[in-house]
Amino acid sequence: MKNSQKQDKLLRQNFVNRFVHWTTALSVMLLIVTGLGQLPLYTRYNVTKLPGAQWLGDYFITINLHYYAAFLLLFAVSFHIVYALARREFDIFPRKGDMKESYQIIKAMLTKGKEPASDKYLAEQRVAYLFIGLSILLLIITGLIKTLKNVPGVDLPNSFLYWSTALHNLGTGLIIFGVIGHLAAFLLKENRPLLPGMFSGSINRDYVKHRHSLWYAKLLRNGEITENSAGCDTIPSISDNLNL
Amino acid sequence: MNKNEAISRRTFFKRTTAAGLLGALAATGLDKPVQASELSNGKLGTLIDLTKCDGCKNYQTPYCVEGCRMHNQERFPEPKKPLKKYWPQDKVEDWSDKRDLKSRLTPYNWTFVDHVRVEHNGEEQEVYVPRRCMHCDNPTCSKLCPFSAITKDSSGAVSIDDELCFGGAKCRDVCPWGIPQRQAGVGLYLDIAPDLAGGGVMYKCDMCVDLLASGKKPACVSACPKGALSIGPREDVRALAYQRAEEIRGYVYGDEENGGTSTLYISTVPFEIIDAAIKADKMSKKDAAPGRPGMPVNVENYLSTGKGMLMSAVIAPFAGAAVAGITAYRTMKGNRAKQTRNKLQEQGGENNHEE
Repeated sequence: MKNSQKQDKLLRQNFVNRFVHWTTALSVMLLIVTGLGQLPLYTRYNVTKLPGAQWLGDYFITINLHYYAAFLLLFAVSFHIVYALARREFDIFPRKGDMKESYQIIKAMLTKGKEPASDKYLAEQRVAYLFIGLSILLLIITGLIKTLKNVPGVDLPNSFLYWSTALHNLGTGLIIFGVIGHLAAFLLKENRPLLPGMFSGSINRDYVKHRHSLWYAKLLRNGEITENSAGCDTIPSISDNLNL
Repeated sequence: MNKNEAISRRTFFKRTTAAGLLGALAATGLDKPVQASELSNGKLGTLIDLTKCDGCKNYQTPYCVEGCRMHNQERFPEPKKPLKKYWPQDKVEDWSDKRDLKSRLTPYNWTFVDHVRVEHNGEEQEVYVPRRCMHCDNPTCSKLCPFSAITKDSSGAVSIDDELCFGGAKCRDVCPWGIPQRQAGVGLYLDIAPDLAGGGVMYKCDMCVDLLASGKKPACVSACPKGALSIGPREDVRALAYQRAEEIRGYVYGDEENGGTSTLYISTVPFEIIDAAIKADKMSKKDAAPGRPGMPVNVENYLSTGKGMLMSAVIAPFAGAAVAGITAYRTMKGNRAKQTRNKLQEQGGENNHEE
């Protein structure tokens, strides 16, 4: 009984993907909270008066936390890039025609029409990845310049610092927009079956067959699954989960 | 032994040669350590000799304060009124009706002379302390401004760009002396969302960078009738400060504080005593408002950990890449082993079948 339940699922996000996703999510959230703390916001708008929130008004506590979260993000981003390149895993990387296809998918979701067949990721997910990824890279580059600037004895040219600061602030706006957009995707009922993938790693097999038909076909073609649901290869084993 | 005293002596011996030269300079009556031509380039320092400053007590206004106001008056804020409160706070910072206030730092008064009575070596003394921006070597105000509106130039002068400042007053909060002062009703925030964000413009001494650019001394230095204020190449000023401190068996303030500043005070009274006297006087007057800074000795620069943070930021991506490389290698090795195992199983199955 337990097996047949498992056979209804397919492993979409292995442990490494989930590790990168949640490490990035945690660090980005902490970076947003502490980064906004570098603007004189929390005291002005009485956030520091909330129980347990007084520390948000201390610029030096928030900047140190900002640094620690940045180390975590740098670790996750470099891990992700090197791992993807080493294993040639580019499913999430954007492809030609993704913008047009994203429009078609969103249109189909809103009008209950037929949407184009998708690979492991929807075109709009690949576009969102590109948007969030570029925002993060912008923040990392300008953030490193700002970190260098804070080293005692380092005096960088004023105009260079001005533009780094302005672009870092712009990147902050972009990443907040990106995170909100990412979460808003789950307001649409059609996307919700994807959610368990980032927790347990697996999503519904029928959902994959229906919405990610290109990926499903690829899994069949590569022999990673069989059409017959009785096949054990559909069950995500511990070693698959760890990708070991 | 007080730390200031220890530093003073140690540094004095290290700088014997320089001090000797400066001593000769002083003997010729040029203890103002510079010539005007030296002001237009290189890092500068200012020396404030409290043994010479009497706060111009026989005059209505200290000369340095008057000189500063005269020179900078065209840059003082002219706020648009009525002023809006800093929503949701029930306050607004407005000094425009107190332009004549000269006993503290305000957006209209960028330097003032503090006055305290202290007891030292068993006798009561009056101490006058000209106060303004210290022009730090690693200015936390400039480094932490969220809009990079505060800059430090090659002379060491730290200036606020009044066209870029949003008036959040973070610079005042992170300054160990709370130097910059805010005026509402002026600046960039009025063009963006004056009801919701921003607070005006921050103002403070900029060491008269315009005068320095043309090789002239800052207005306060030129105005001082006692020679209590002087300016010159940073290292010369530093050497002179320690030499003078040694001569008067006194103390130096500003060389270590906040990681080092370009403003050095010398006094016969320990700065701990002056700091305590300022605090006590403020307390007795229930004065908690910014604009009358203390003199905390050896106050730490909160960005002193910056180097360690940068190193960690540089190491983090390498650590991520290394772990990714090892993980990818192990997974690929695991996949190959799995493929071989599957192949062997398949072959084994075939053999069994044949049997």
